[in-house]
Amino acid sequence: MQYTATISRMKAAGAPPRLSGFAQWADRHFKWLLVAPAVLLILALSIYPLLFSLVVSFINYDFQVPGHAFVGLKNFERVVFDPVARWSLLLTAWLSGVSVAIEFVLGLLVALTMVRGFPGRGVIMSILIVPLFISPVIVGQAWTLLLQRPFGPTNYILTQLLGQEVTIGWMTEAPWLYASLIIADVWQWTPFMFVILLAGLTAIPPNLYEAAELDGVNAWQAFWAITLPHLAPMMLLALTFRLLDAIRMFDTIFIMTGGGPGTRTYTASYYLYTVGFTQFHLSQATAGSWLFLVFTALVVTLLVRRLLKAEPV
Amino acid sequence: MNDHEKRDYQAGLEAEVDAFMRGETTRRTFITRFGQMTGMLAASGPILGMMTDWALAQQKLELADAGSPLGQAQAAAMKASMEGPADGSAFRAVEAAKAHSGVTLNMTYEAGLQALDPRNFSGPMWEQLTGMKSNVVELSNPDQYSKAVAEHIAGSGAYDVLDISPAWTPSLADGGVIAPLDDYIAKYMNLADLEDYHPLYKALPTYKGKVWGFFDDGDMFALYYRKDIFEDPKMVEAYQAKFNAKLAPPKTWEEYAQIAQFITDQMAPNVYGAGHFRKAGSPGNQFDFLQQYRANGGKLFGDDMKAGLVSDAGVKTLQNMIAANAASIPGNNELDAVSLWAAFLTGKVAMIYSWPPSGRMAANYSQSATAINFIPQSQIAGKVGYAVVPGNPEHATGYNKALSADSANPEAAYLFMQWICSPPVSLARCMLPYALRDPYRISHFKSELYGALFPSAKEYLSNLNNSANVGLLDPIMPGAQDYFLSIDRMCTAVWAGADPKASLETAAAEWNETTDRLGVDSQKAFYTEFLKLPGATADNTVEKLGMAVTL
Repeated sequence: MQYTATISRMKAAGAPPRLSGFAQWADRHFKWLLVAPAVLLILALSIYPLLFSLVVSFINYDFQVPGHAFVGLKNFERVVFDPVARWSLLLTAWLSGVSVAIEFVLGLLVALTMVRGFPGRGVIMSILIVPLFISPVIVGQAWTLLLQRPFGPTNYILTQLLGQEVTIGWMTEAPWLYASLIIADVWQWTPFMFVILLAGLTAIPPNLYEAAELDGVNAWQAFWAITLPHLAPMMLLALTFRLLDAIRMFDTIFIMTGGGPGTRTYTASYYLYTVGFTQFHLSQATAGSWLFLVFTALVVTLLVRRLLKAEPV
Repeated sequence: MNDHEKRDYQAGLEAEVDAFMRGETTRRTFITRFGQMTGMLAASGPILGMMTDWALAQQKLELADAGSPLGQAQAAAMKASMEGPADGSAFRAVEAAKAHSGVTLNMTYEAGLQALDPRNFSGPMWEQLTGMKSNVVELSNPDQYSKAVAEHIAGSGAYDVLDISPAWTPSLADGGVIAPLDDYIAKYMNLADLEDYHPLYKALPTYKGKVWGFFDDGDMFALYYRKDIFEDPKMVEAYQAKFNAKLAPPKTWEEYAQIAQFITDQMAPNVYGAGHFRKAGSPGNQFDFLQQYRANGGKLFGDDMKAGLVSDAGVKTLQNMIAANAASIPGNNELDAVSLWAAFLTGKVAMIYSWPPSGRMAANYSQSATAINFIPQSQIAGKVGYAVVPGNPEHATGYNKALSADSANPEAAYLFMQWICSPPVSLARCMLPYALRDPYRISHFKSELYGALFPSAKEYLSNLNNSANVGLLDPIMPGAQDYFLSIDRMCTAVWAGADPKASLETAAAEWNETTDRLGVDSQKAFYTEFLKLPGATADNTVEKLGMAVTL
């Protein structure tokens, strides 16, 4: 406390220690200096590219057409009037909706099964969540190896099981190619639903079930009256996260079907990738990305609003 | 400073001094340490860069056994570079390049096997000869175009030597991304080496009267078939009985589908008549359609630059391809190039047409390199015959070495290009077992050393030369990617059951949209330039122009 005393004496003498102008300025704006690096980083890596992409969507930025002339809404027009773009948006909605619905149902069933303790539960849970840690590209490749004719074993196994020759083109024939994509997605992401829902289930107070049991409520009634209302926020959270991820579906399609046959498995992400990085129409791809962002933002807003309203009964 | 500010200031200072006395971090120490940390981070960039460079440094020069044909070709390349002949392009390049010792050349290569040559062989050898280092930048095929353009727009000078598809030359030349080589060629090259190119490939880097690179990869499609099946007396007899014709490699696409179906009928499920890489996104569809369509008399564009796809030739081509698919191995439409090789090498398929590595793999030569061990060992070595694809085979893309217009060391980069594409060096590179660089010089096709690589190598080289004599080039013009993509979509839609005529109409509409986007007049000018090239159509192949090479 010796220095405190010194300062006190200096104060009494009315002679504050002299600091340079910069040091005084730095002291006054210390809090801003602390956050400045993070702000600059965000501006450089996020805001600037975002603004630049907005500019790009209104100019010609095509690696095959020289110059960057202002083209107004032309790039947006090209996307809006491109039947492939419209199809890819529909397919994205359909594929992500179906995949997430199946993942939700399966995830809930597995979570309900695993919520009670039993021997080997830990090991089974560890195995169940393994797909979550695998890159979607690897998942796509693995399912390709399983399904692709003539080397994949799937048709052979089905032939043995059904007793008649199965010759399904899993990645070239509709509707099987959609089934293949959904299977791969469900295999990888059902564990995500399971983990979130299991966390929700374990958080429900057990005394509610005990009270219900004393009241003579059966398991089905307990599920509807206790489990479902308490789990609803977690369900919505899981659905929101998963849906936001699913609408960006790209990797498995890139590996498994290459967008084909024709353009039948073009999702929005795959369409944008093709326009931008196969055809090099970067400004059209950027305009498409902004349109896709608007659609995504609408979905996000709806889901988040619903999520914020959802509260356990 | 008013009283209130003074009070705040002094209170803050007291708190700081007290904190300092207690050994706690003060604002100033925080700022000091933060500054130190920032400085260290800034300094760590170059250090990390150096460590990365070290980690990614070229491996040592890998040389084959000196007694092997490859070893001899490598020794010959080294000798030609060091001792001459004094007027040889390799020797002159090395001599001039010594003045640039210490320079690092940044060069793009397709990621994977293509990049092993500069990493393991040509890069280290060049460094040994000249003291120039090479930094290999591996990119996916589309990125070899887009990154080159992006870096040019940014003016970064990131690349010195570019590996590009010949189809991109007009766009990159007009866009100022690549530089012409004429002055350097006049100064350094032995012009006789230009005459050593097969005529199909010689003009590929030429555009608007200037030379924009050196051709460096003869990606000629050829037919590879099972001789043992085609010469099997029972099969020959059965074919004769059924079609009153000799069982031989097909000369027309109708015959191709017929033979494929015949073999499938006779030998499936052990062996199927044919296989193709038809998966969406694998380039087999576009190459196959383009070669058959033009062999059937189809025109890519009319005089008004409208797509010529919706024609009898278009419908006939798709019908032939559908017939061939039906006669092929189950899952034909799901195969990519590597899967097709696997099917052929394991003996499941009697005929394929694909790139030149097919022949080297079938002879089990490529598989001697561990880098290519994802391909199965050949079970058909010694049983494979070579033939020209029915009609006219496609020269399926290929590569040009081009000089980046933004290179900081353009002369050094040019000299490397001249050296690596010179006859003795390029021969040694094409002979590397893991290489995907395929023969393209007349001296390659005539090489005794290459001919000794595997028992049937001479027939293999002869067939590649004969294929080039009647070969067709991919369209070389802006928008090529768009046109190709439309063909791929059209084909895969047809394989999935879409109507061929309707699919041709869809593809034609997409082609027209692409042409409109790029400018009809401009595209017409490019197309007119393209049509001047030998091999642009089935009517002006090298052979029909009287320039065929006989070995």
